[in-house]
Parts: sequence; structure tokens; C-alpha cells
Amino acid sequence: MRQPAVKSVLRRLASTKLTLLWMVLLGVGATLSYGNPVETSIWVLIVPMLLLAINLVAAIISNPRINRRGGLLVFHIGLLGIVVLAAIGRLTHMEARVEIISGNEFSHDHLIEVRAGPLHNGAINEVRFVQGPYTVEYRARMSRGRTYSQVAIPDGEGGWYESVVGDDRPLVIEGYRFYTTFNKGFAPIMSWIGEEGNVIETGAVHMPSYPLFDFKQSNSWTPKGGDEIKFWLQLETGLNAEEAWVLDGREATGTLVVNVAGKRTELLPGESVKMAGGSLRYEQLTTWMGYKLYYDPTLQWMFLISVITVAGLGGHFWRKLSAEPLGLDDALRGEKKLVKGSVPAPRSASV
Amino acid sequence: MTELPWLYAALSAYALATIASLVGVGRLGTPATSPADFAVSEDQRNNERLVLALMTASVILLVVTLTDRWLRIGHGPFVNLFELLISQLFSLGLVYAVAYWRIPVLRPTSVVVLPLMGVLAVWVLVLEPSDSVFPPTYHNPWLWAHVGFGKFFLAFSLIGTGLAGVILLRSRAYFKNLFRHLPDNVILDKLAWRFMLLALVFDSLMLIAGGVWAQDAWGRYWAWDALETSSFLNWLLLGASIHARTTYNVPIRVGALLIIGIFVFAFVTYFGTPFYSEAAHKGVI
Repeated sequence: MRQPAVKSVLRRLASTKLTLLWMVLLGVGATLSYGNPVETSIWVLIVPMLLLAINLVAAIISNPRINRRGGLLVFHIGLLGIVVLAAIGRLTHMEARVEIISGNEFSHDHLIEVRAGPLHNGAINEVRFVQGPYTVEYRARMSRGRTYSQVAIPDGEGGWYESVVGDDRPLVIEGYRFYTTFNKGFAPIMSWIGEEGNVIETGAVHMPSYPLFDFKQSNSWTPKGGDEIKFWLQLETGLNAEEAWVLDGREATGTLVVNVAGKRTELLPGESVKMAGGSLRYEQLTTWMGYKLYYDPTLQWMFLISVITVAGLGGHFWRKLSAEPLGLDDALRGEKKLVKGSVPAPRSASV
Repeated sequence: MTELPWLYAALSAYALATIASLVGVGRLGTPATSPADFAVSEDQRNNERLVLALMTASVILLVVTLTDRWLRIGHGPFVNLFELLISQLFSLGLVYAVAYWRIPVLRPTSVVVLPLMGVLAVWVLVLEPSDSVFPPTYHNPWLWAHVGFGKFFLAFSLIGTGLAGVILLRSRAYFKNLFRHLPDNVILDKLAWRFMLLALVFDSLMLIAGGVWAQDAWGRYWAWDALETSSFLNWLLLGASIHARTTYNVPIRVGALLIIGIFVFAFVTYFGTPFYSEAAHKGVI
């Protein structure tokens, strides 16, 4: 008694009419999700996907048109796999941003705008690399070209090896993918020196993104025991908006302009200025690179399953269409024999 | 703009092919009086050869146009609408010309297909032939796969639409006579849906390749931007239509309307969305 009841429930859940209905619902969910609006709940996608997954599982189990045809079975299981992987991906993913000074090692403590799924369990603590110099090509009229960012990565034998990443070539370590962004700039390294001549603090101040904010390279710094120091950076990078140009921090020079007691003071690297409570020394000019960080352990699997899914679909169509020729040779070519009127054919749902 | 004369020559060839195909089918306007009138005549065959020759000439001229532009600006036709339309005219023309040559039943569909391509041709003529800037994220082999699969998807949808158009036109007495040497609508319907099956495979491959490219280029494989949302809806509509067509006895005319709807949706996705939205694909603009 129980088996027929289960079969009946499965058949109802596997209804092809329900498939169409859930597809329409998914279409509505996708339309509402356009642009990822804050007010749209993720459930507008999860609910129809869940309903389609149930429909799919029931169909795979109960529909012989699916489970007795290898290609179609692979396609449907593949679709189910994609839905499951997408769900796992959202639960375990992580996205963040980080700005790293050239010469400094990546630290997960500096991650900002971190968004992670509740089951994220990656080894971000084990990610190690050192940011090197970078270059960015610009065409005339400030159109950004390719970015070449040098990084040094531990080789696992106590040494380091160098790699160049940028644009569509992310740095991938422990599954974390680091993408260079348009967000990058200069950073003067400064020291705050006490009255006794001892260095109290040394720090790098990230100036606004360059060349995007070429016109306002200003910032402030409050050293330990000192007052807030406001300054701006006068850069010489060779930038000429009308010509092609390469941004290379190693070729750039910067003069630090500090306002001390209402008096403008210009500092070159190595120079210092006396202020209330100590001295400010401009050590050197360096650069920083902004990365977008992305982690999703399902990426490779998603690709593999997607390809297998389409291969299943293609294989099914190939077998089906080769087994059911339309007979175009005689009926359609006309040149082989006269055709009296249009060629009748039996009507069926098959294609 | 050294490529413009080549473009004008290519579009002229397309226009002549369109006129020749309309004239060729129009000649059949006289009612059939004998069994021979139902067969493809030698006149008609000559006309088909002319249409094919003009289409081939147009495709070759478009190859010259694209090559000339590529050499001049340093990158392929992937960025602005002007070069995208030329590229689509080339790929749609090439796939349709091969299908026209190899599958004779498709030849009368040229009276639907070529005017549809004419829309692109007229559109490209009214656009400013400006140079484009190649974004740094486009230096990726997956872009080629993404665009290539998309071209096949659109081309197969276009051929399906040609057949669907003929099916719908045939419901009028005048056109029924024009297409009298074609097989029954049942066979045309099946053939049209076979092209839509191919379209579904290539649409799926386009989405996969696009996801890989987007992951490398922008650090995410899916973000529901304008083009992604529209492409997904298009895939869903195509999948649902094939599901309905293979599961139920969808009336032939309804099926034909569905195919045309899918093509129109794809057309808007390809040529409307990237220019309707400021950030069709994040990073492009």
C-alpha cells in the first residue's frame, strides 16, 4: 500500500506543469534580483530554486523519460548539482577588500568590507605574500590599460618566488583569489620623533586613489603623543592626460607639504620639520595596491558540473536527432523528385 | 575610418541578397497549375545561387571590414555597438549562408531572415563609426569562447525564427502559395525546434564561458547585472519553451510565436541591454 502512495506523491511532485510554473517563478525572482537591490530578499531566488530542485529530484526518480535516457539524466542531475553547489558556495564564500603597501606582507587583520557565508571555513590565516611594485598602463585621455602587480609568494622551502598578477590574472593562494583594482595610490612613510630624538612611531599613510584623485592628494596623521598633522602630497609621476603613460611608483617623486603653525613647509624624503611635541620626518614615498578578495570553494566544481550538464544535454539531443531523421533529403530538396504540394508528416510533441 | 568603404560594400551585397531572395520567392506568386509548379524550378535554383553568392560576398567583405578595423585600432570587435553589430552581421551571415547552402529547405526562409539582418545593417549605418577602447579585463581567452558560443546561439535562434516566420506567413493564402514547394508545417516546426535545441546548448555554453570570464575579470561569476539577468531570463524562456514543446502538443503556430519571442528577447539582450544599462557588465564602462 505504501509504495503506490509514495509513487503517487513523487509523480505529483514531478509534474511537468509544476516545472513550468516554478520556472516562471524563478524568472520573476531573477527579474526582482536585477542589480542586487537591497530591498529584495534572497528568498525570491531560493524558494523557486528549492521548488525546482524538489521537482527535479522527483522527476529523476519517477519519470522514465528522464531516468532511462543517459544524456537527459546527466543533464537533470547536473542542474540539481549546480543548484546545490550554488547554495554551498553562498554558505562558504568570503568577499573582502584590502590595501597593501609595497614591500609589506599581506595580513588578514587589514581586511575591510568583509562579507562571509555562515559556514566559511577557509584558511585565510595561512595566506602569505608580499606586495611588490606595480605598473599600470594608461592610454591617452586617461583610459586605464593593463595592471602588472608584482608579488612574492613563499615557495614552501623557506624561499620566495615572484609572480605578476593583474586585471584578469588573480593571485590565488589557499583558494583565496586576489584581484587588482583601479583603487591604488601613493603612501608617504613618515616617522614621529620625540623631543629626545627617539623615533616614537613610523607609519605609512594611504593617500587617495591615484590618478583618480590626482587633484586632492591630501590626508592627515595623528602620531602617538602628537597633534593631528594635515598634509598633502605634490606628486611628479610623468602624468600627461593627453598622452599614453605608465604609472610606476618607482619612477615617481613626491614632495610632502605640511602646514606648521600657519607656515607652508615642503619636505623631500629624508627631511624633517619641527613641530609642537616633536618632529615629523618624511622617510620615503611608496605605493599601495587595493585588492578585491574572493573565496568560493565550489568554483572548480561548478565549472566541471556545468560542462558535464551541457555535455549530457548535447549528447541527448545528438542521439535523439540522429535516431529520428526528418527525411529532408527526399521531401525537402525538391531536386530529386517532384513534390506534389507540401509534404504531410505525423504530428507529435517530439522534435 | 578605412574600413567604411568595405562595410558599405558588404551591406550593399546584403541588400542585393535580400532583394534577390524576395524577388525569387515572389515569382512563385502565380497560382500553381501543374504538379511541376510544386517543384523547385531551374529559375528558382539560379535565384538561390545568386542569393548565396551575394551572401558569401557580403560575409567576405565583412571579414575585410573587421580585419581592417582590427589592424587600425588594435583590438577585435568586442566593445562598442558599431563594431558589435558588424561582428554580428558577419557571424549571423556566415552561419546562415552555410545553413542556406547545406539545407535547401531553409532557402525560402531568407525572405524572413535577411530582412531581420537588414535591421542590424540599417542600425549600423546610423551609428557613429567611433573607435573603442579595449578594457584591460578583455585580454582573456574566455571572452572569445563566451562571444563565440553566443554567436552560434543567436544564429541558430535566427534560423529557427526564419522557419517560424515562414510557418506564420503560410497561414495567409498568398504566402501559402509562395511557399508551396516547402514541406508541411509539421516538418518545418520540427526543424525549427531542432535549431532551438542547438541554440539552448550554445546558450548554456555561452553562460558558462561568460561565468569563467567574469570570475577572472571582475572576481565574481554571477552578479545579476543587466546583461546577466537578461541572459538568464532568455535561457530560462528557451529552456521552458523546449520543455513545453517536448512535453505537450503545443500548437504549431503557438510554437512559432514562442520561437520568435525567444529571438526577440535575445535580440534585446544582445543589442539593447548593454546600451540601456550604464553598467551592463561591471568593468566594461
